[in-house]
Amino acid sequence: MNKDKIFKLAKGFRGRAKNCIRIARERVEKALQYSYRDRRTKKRDMRSLWIERINAGTRSHGVNYGNFMHGLMKENIQLNRKVLSELSMHEPYSFKALVDVSRNAFPGNKKVVLPPTKVGLSIVV
Amino acid sequence: MASTATAISVSATSSPFKLSLSHFPKKNYNSSFLSLSKPSISHSLSSRKSIFTQNLSSKPSFSLIPKFSESEAPVIEPEAAPDPESTEIETGVEVETALTQIVEVEKEVPKREEIFAVVMIGSRQYIVFPGRFIYIQRLKGANVNDKIILNKVLLVGTKNSTYIGKPVVTNAAVHAVVEEQGLNPKVIVFKYKKKKNYRRKIGHRQPNTRIRITSITGYQDYPATTLET
Repeated sequence: MNKDKIFKLAKGFRGRAKNCIRIARERVEKALQYSYRDRRTKKRDMRSLWIERINAGTRSHGVNYGNFMHGLMKENIQLNRKVLSELSMHEPYSFKALVDVSRNAFPGNKKVVLPPTKVGLSIVV
Repeated sequence: MASTATAISVSATSSPFKLSLSHFPKKNYNSSFLSLSKPSISHSLSSRKSIFTQNLSSKPSFSLIPKFSESEAPVIEPEAAPDPESTEIETGVEVETALTQIVEVEKEVPKREEIFAVVMIGSRQYIVFPGRFIYIQRLKGANVNDKIILNKVLLVGTKNSTYIGKPVVTNAAVHAVVEEQGLNPKVIVFKYKKKKNYRRKIGHRQPNTRIRITSITGYQDYPATTLET
């Protein structure tokens, strides 16, 4: 009974770990430990992914992530990073409105450089 | 022969947002706005072209009242159009009206307002569309088919304007219906310490509630950022 459960959890494992009970039991225990640990690290990873996406979205409008979040905090806008990253991907006009609000609240301390405009081959040809 | 206008107005909705398909409801039809009527339009266009190559012009014009102009055509030119042609035009109009009715019925069914909201439930934020469902933390007092009003609306977005809440859009409400009180898929919690003979295996299913969003109201008076097109 326990053996069947172990083999069911060991599907897709490499080599003897999916077929031989002694090896499978070890690998399955390790897999369960990893999943326990990674349920906690998944929250951290997702947050850093959202921050990357927000950074990319705001930099295309000439504001970097730090100044953007500072402006939002000043305006007491309490959207979290998950929603902000989704908006930056799928709702570009709403995201631009947010960037404008943040820029009005906190213009930034340095002169922000927009990313250089990319020119096509027609210039050379 | 007067140019006959076709019945289809290709709605080029330059809507400012694309929908995210993270919450995909079980429905009979596609729930994305942009691809709604296009398959039906292209199908009917091709079918109509194959039948009426003589009478129809090749370019679809953007008027919604073709039957009127087509029925007037034999009236305006009674001398130019001899009898067999006028009867052809009339039968063409009849079959076309049947087809246009079919096309319009297909178009009428999925009418959704293009609006979304960001709502905070159970200290988590969700992007919400009317007609879709989401899974949230279990609401203790709710029964199935209860109507729920969600007050913490942080952002409302419509086709041309955005209402950004600081922190909340005042008087905005999202109406929803409780569909089901269920459990999340099972998660195995396995605790293990090496060389100490310590193993604990626990299964866990977190209770959840599925709610279907019906409408978003009350945001109109709030100051909005409008897109100038």
